[in-house]
Amino acid sequence: AGVGQAGVGYPAPQEPLSAQMSQMNLGPQPVPPPQMAPQMQAPQPQGLMNQLYPSDLLQTPFSVHELDLPPPPINLPPNTSVTPSLFANCPPKYVRSTLNTVPTNSSLLKKSKLPFALVIQPYTSLHDAEDPVPIVPDQVISRCRRCRTYINSFVTFLDQGHRWRCNMCNLTNDVPQAFDWDATQQKAVDRWQRPELNYSVVEFVAPQEYMVRAPQPLVYLFLFDVSYAAVTNGLLATSARCILESLDRIPNADRRTKVGFIAVDSSLHYFSIPRDDAENGEPRMLVVSDLDEPFLPTPEDLVTNLSECRGNIEKFLEKLQSMFQETQNGYSAMGSALRAGHRLISNTGGKIVVLTSSLPNIGYGKLEMREDKKLLGTSKEGSLLQTANSFYKSFAVECSKVQVSIDMFLFSAQYQDVATLSNLPRYTGGQTYFYPGWNAARPEDAIKFAREFSDYLSSEIGLEAVLRVRATTGLRMSYFYGNFFNRSSDLCAFPAFPRDQAYVVEVAIDETINKPYVCLQAAVLHTTCNGERRIRVLTLALPTTENLSAVYASADQSAITAYFSHKAVERALSSGTENARDALQAKVVEILQTYRKELAGGNMGGGGLQLPANLRALPVLFLGLMKNVGLRKSAQIPSDLRSAALCLLSTLPIPLMLQHIYPRMYSLHDMPDNAGTPDPDSGEMVLPPPVNLSSERLANYGLYLIDDGQTQFLWVGSQAVPALIDDVFGLEDKTQLKQGKTQLPVLENEFNERVRAVVEKSADARSKGVGSIVVPPLYVVREDGEPSLKLWAQTLLVEDRADQGVSLMQWMGLLREKVVQ
Amino acid sequence: MDYEALKEQWSEIEDRDGVRLSWNTFPSSRIEATRLVVPIGALYTPLKEKETPPLQYEPVSCKAPCRAVLNPFCQVDMRARLWICPFCLQRNGLPPHYKDISQDQIPPELHPTNTTIEYRLARPAPSPPIFLFVLDTCQEEDSLKALKDSVIMSLQLLPPYALVGLITYGTMTQVHEIGYTECPKSYVFRGSKDYGAKQVQEMLGLATPGMARPNIAPQPGQIRAPMGPAARFLLPVQQCEFQLTNALEQLQRDPWPVANDKRALRCTGVALSVAVGLLESSFQNSGGRVMLFTGGPCTEGPGMVVSPELREAIRSHHDIDRDNIKHYKRALKFYDNLAKRTAHNGHIIDIFAGCLDQVGLLEMKGLANSTGGHMILTDSFTSSMYKQSFARVFDRDANDNLLMGFNASLEVITTKELKVTGLIGHAVSMNKKSASVGETECGIGNTCSWKMCGIDPAASYGIFFEIASQVAANQMQQGPQKGMVQFLTYYQHSSGQYHLRVTTVARNLSGPSGDPAIAQSFDQEAAAVLMSRIAVFKAEVDDGPDVLRWVDRMLIRLCSRFAEYRKDDPSSFRLEKNFTLYPQFMFHLRRSQFLQVFNNSPDETAFYRHVLNHEDVNNSLIMMQPTLDSYGFDHEGSQAVLLDSTSIQPETVLLLDTFFHILIFHGETMAEWRKAGYQDQEGYENFSTLLEAPKEDAKELIQDRFPLPRFIVCDAGGSQARFLLSKLNPSTTHTTGTYGVSQNAQTIFTDDVSLQTFMDHLMKLAVSGTG
Ligand SMILES: [Zn+2]
Ligand SMILES: [Zn+2]
Repeated sequence: AGVGQAGVGYPAPQEPLSAQMSQMNLGPQPVPPPQMAPQMQAPQPQGLMNQLYPSDLLQTPFSVHELDLPPPPINLPPNTSVTPSLFANCPPKYVRSTLNTVPTNSSLLKKSKLPFALVIQPYTSLHDAEDPVPIVPDQVISRCRRCRTYINSFVTFLDQGHRWRCNMCNLTNDVPQAFDWDATQQKAVDRWQRPELNYSVVEFVAPQEYMVRAPQPLVYLFLFDVSYAAVTNGLLATSARCILESLDRIPNADRRTKVGFIAVDSSLHYFSIPRDDAENGEPRMLVVSDLDEPFLPTPEDLVTNLSECRGNIEKFLEKLQSMFQETQNGYSAMGSALRAGHRLISNTGGKIVVLTSSLPNIGYGKLEMREDKKLLGTSKEGSLLQTANSFYKSFAVECSKVQVSIDMFLFSAQYQDVATLSNLPRYTGGQTYFYPGWNAARPEDAIKFAREFSDYLSSEIGLEAVLRVRATTGLRMSYFYGNFFNRSSDLCAFPAFPRDQAYVVEVAIDETINKPYVCLQAAVLHTTCNGERRIRVLTLALPTTENLSAVYASADQSAITAYFSHKAVERALSSGTENARDALQAKVVEILQTYRKELAGGNMGGGGLQLPANLRALPVLFLGLMKNVGLRKSAQIPSDLRSAALCLLSTLPIPLMLQHIYPRMYSLHDMPDNAGTPDPDSGEMVLPPPVNLSSERLANYGLYLIDDGQTQFLWVGSQAVPALIDDVFGLEDKTQLKQGKTQLPVLENEFNERVRAVVEKSADARSKGVGSIVVPPLYVVREDGEPSLKLWAQTLLVEDRADQGVSLMQWMGLLREKVVQ
Repeated sequence: MDYEALKEQWSEIEDRDGVRLSWNTFPSSRIEATRLVVPIGALYTPLKEKETPPLQYEPVSCKAPCRAVLNPFCQVDMRARLWICPFCLQRNGLPPHYKDISQDQIPPELHPTNTTIEYRLARPAPSPPIFLFVLDTCQEEDSLKALKDSVIMSLQLLPPYALVGLITYGTMTQVHEIGYTECPKSYVFRGSKDYGAKQVQEMLGLATPGMARPNIAPQPGQIRAPMGPAARFLLPVQQCEFQLTNALEQLQRDPWPVANDKRALRCTGVALSVAVGLLESSFQNSGGRVMLFTGGPCTEGPGMVVSPELREAIRSHHDIDRDNIKHYKRALKFYDNLAKRTAHNGHIIDIFAGCLDQVGLLEMKGLANSTGGHMILTDSFTSSMYKQSFARVFDRDANDNLLMGFNASLEVITTKELKVTGLIGHAVSMNKKSASVGETECGIGNTCSWKMCGIDPAASYGIFFEIASQVAANQMQQGPQKGMVQFLTYYQHSSGQYHLRVTTVARNLSGPSGDPAIAQSFDQEAAAVLMSRIAVFKAEVDDGPDVLRWVDRMLIRLCSRFAEYRKDDPSSFRLEKNFTLYPQFMFHLRRSQFLQVFNNSPDETAFYRHVLNHEDVNNSLIMMQPTLDSYGFDHEGSQAVLLDSTSIQPETVLLLDTFFHILIFHGETMAEWRKAGYQDQEGYENFSTLLEAPKEDAKELIQDRFPLPRFIVCDAGGSQARFLLSKLNPSTTHTTGTYGVSQNAQTIFTDDVSLQTFMDHLMKLAVSGTG
């Protein structure tokens, strides 16, 4: 809760915190129209432009609570939408604009020094049931003849409702007859009840015209690394076990889902799995060692129907780990395996799931160990973040063309060239999941991966998808960020559409806009994992202004940070992290200068560093970004770790991205009584208030949770009292505490229960309004314990001075210097 | 000694030593030898079955480089315990354990009747015998099923310690890892690619050191498994019978779709190449056989004999003659190289073809010919001809050992008068030079040693000699001088030990020029068979007509040389008894499928020639000149009749044995009666008996025959009768038909000359002195 809260005007920071908090659940509850969807949050108040609330950044230091505030509201003119629906405009959960009031011309935008971009998160959960959207089932899809916009609540009906005017290009279109008439039931339909006129986020069931071919089935092709490394660290066994236990979770409502398996070392091991009712029905292993031009050893049964072959698939998965237990093979021909996989599923498309603990060191796309410790932290480090072998990009593009998407699960204890391998997911709508030094012998590792992988398999991904964003004439989508292939100027192709990623689309203002508001519509044409062709349409309307202060007053600091996070990743990959950091610093300085010069009238005020209340967190978020593992100045970060972090920065939905660059810290030893217990109204677990990320906030007798969404640290102060240790860990003495990766014991006391509840809730992505499979591992850190562990946890304390990074205070001083000069 | 007595003696020698010589007296000078026309040669059957068990000790050998083995023709000084080698004349001491030797107590190898003796050597074979089955899966369900069943059945016929492996092929080749127990597992090779030996080994993971994980040094003192990594693919029958049977039972037809206008893709070449590579890696020079079962021609990859396009027909003799052959040379080269490698490794390749059409035996023939493998050509794996022939491969001796030897080699040592000029048979040269090697070359020459790899009790080799002495040896020494030859055959016995078979042959050298003993010592049967081997050897490289002319010329010259006649008077022409049949043999040889190719497919030609090169004198003679027996009311049992069209009579039943076919032919009347069912009626028991008699005899003939002959029962006028007619001397052909007499059953449609015409020509030419 908290995001897009109804009735909450942007509060001045002076407003007491308790007041803000108390408002969180007090918004007027809307009367649900038909087909009310739970994720549909709140209506927007209408009329007023956002007010500029200036604030002094130095006099009133940043408070972490500010990050929980909703973005500035979108104040549309009255009666902008054709229905009085409270859900006519797109909630920020799905689409956030960096500017919730749009400049009418490009010079004003340019003058603002702020970016205009949308952060689009078409899915907010792994499963439809957790966050359903209204569906238009009758296959009546009315679209503008000229700009192909989908009819939406911001169009205008003319001519007694027989025609509609497009809110993007102004063309007048006919309303289809079926719009008001249900042909199958032979009865009139109340147009005003149609979901697409009431909801800004809808899903159309697509008719035949939207299919180039019959909808493809869901296809999972697993590529298992079976080299010595992957067998001995337990990856193979854990993966096989996990798939076996998750077979029922893999979406298969239409019973068309297919699976296939290839095991890879210096050879490719195919598995032919016959139908359960076949004669001679036994899974067979077919080994191909000829890596020159991978070929399929048999035309049959390499990718098989999950329902029809269920018994044999289970039999196979049960045996898989023992099949390779004696291996001494130290090679991985993963590049060749990928080509083979491409060949195997290119006629249907599908998902290739790579599970590997090795650097591909033989066959196609062979990679070298190129990490050099001496290069880390230098200007030459940038080359390690770049692709080592052009195969990975060109192959990914080839995959995109035939609707094949690749996810990489990487587990190496040694250098694995994440920088190069991550190209595969990047261009195919996939994701890179990185588990450095993973070992199944550690139960925490095994459980983490098993839970994540099982959720991953259960995720209701889309297939054969394309994303296009249309907008009011005068606006143009100029740049796209995220994991997909940009097939043409405005079309992003996703062989598979994930449910845990967000995309950034930059918008250019080509012509002066003389309308009070503009519309932007994102459409994801896709095949559901159950074989239905659908279009998910998200329509956003934003007011326009000629006034710079209105632009600043409605700027969304989180969306702006997300936009610059993508820019920084792009810069880091092209010219190194130092350039990326410099650019970030220059940008924040530029914004501060612009605000000071244009809106604060050059007023030095108290400290001389000002921003409107809604942008107050920008400097600290930029600092967090610069201190993120992906961008931090350091000579200690292995390039694989950096590359993996950069992948996260360019794919995470906003709530997780924010947490990743400015982690959550909770003080546990003194948490309020209701923290760690369910809220009596919502049933949601209550979290303690977050604490700023500064070591000053850490009492040496305290217990803290620090959580960046990927990793959780339980910080035990050096003077933590035995009673606390006993309550939480069931140990007499903190010297008995197991440091590092661990699990909290389940103890028979209320405090232990509440601490566990907080730890679990903090990791719960669903409550943050995002889909995610990530189960962050929990590390116990003793303030007076293992120094390297402590140092690692401290890198999350963004406001501290650490390693080669400045403290928040130094940072503000530095900015002031630059801005004032 | 008269001819019959001589024949008797030669037969005894053949029984004892497995040797038949064309000339049983050796000419003493080179000039004399060249005038013999038919070269001095031996048809030798090294593993001819013997009653006596092998000696359990090491043979006593002459000093290097001679290495001849102590034999009954050696002079032994009992007191000094010395022996003189008759081949190099060196003196050798007898080993200490011969100390008790005396006139009354001589070791078996010195006993005069033990001219052939076998030693069981102490040297054990490096591994048990290996059987690698290579199965074609591009077949109809029923024939694949029959093939699978036969191979599964054969596991029962193998000794439990024998190593077995399985390769299957179709569009691709699969090597089954039968040592793997988690699930059926096989290594797949692309059918279109020529894999080198090293690649095969790497891809099967046999090149262990390379596959070891990097950064991990091999454990010091680690002992390599005795069998090496190939043990994953080749295991003792007793250990893997279940796995292998399971793999065979699970075997499906090649799953790749085949278009209507295409042949199935069948990568026989790759399958063989992978099989050879597998054995090469870990089992070089240990006995093993690759048993190829093919249901059609190779249409994919190296060794392709016909394209997959159905509109392209497989090459015929006619195409080869006109050089209209797309794949022939490349395929031949591929298989010949493979054959060379296999022979070098000491392994055997058998080819079992089950196909109505050709499978490319012509191109693949080197595989069997160079490695001592079997070649079995049948219409289908469902046929009993295939099943029984295949089962017979695993025949056992009285001691329950398989009747096959592995990794065999043959060395020939001669006394100085004789030099070996070559060998014709299933073997390759080992390129060993010695004092026994002659200057000229007949067959595979320029060596005194050959590798046969596969050898069995019937395997017979033609070995040829020349006379080294320019002039006749001086006759100062007392008594007739002897020329001697020793055959040393080393082989891996199927029981796992190495054996050495030693046969020592000694024959008188002729006296001064014109010694009549030479002519009297002519064994026309052996001579005909040896000449047929030379003719076929020539036919493999020369044009057909050239070979026929050579056969004619040699025959005429032999007759000119040994017949009695008045010059230019054909009517005066007479041959000695031991020469009289020879022209007839040559007549039939000329007409046989060995030299006349046009009525046969190239595959059949390759098959017939392969079998001819394997058999002994008697079987070879049957192949050249089939036997014909007649059954009638006028005589009890069978009666041999002339292989002549006049032997076809309405009231007789004929039994023809061509070695490859056994045919029962009912004369016109006999057929009518049989159709009327008289044999089932009371009072016609004699007719019933008459019909049964040839069947019983045919059964008898089939008993020991390998490969199993095709059995045909036909009637006069029936289409199957052509098999008989094509073998008969055309004494009454349509060209000789008497005016006014209509053509009847015994009229043979052929332009071949009859035996009579042939003999007339022969006599005319022989007496003219133009030969
Ligand atoms: Zn339009
Ligand atoms: Zn000697």
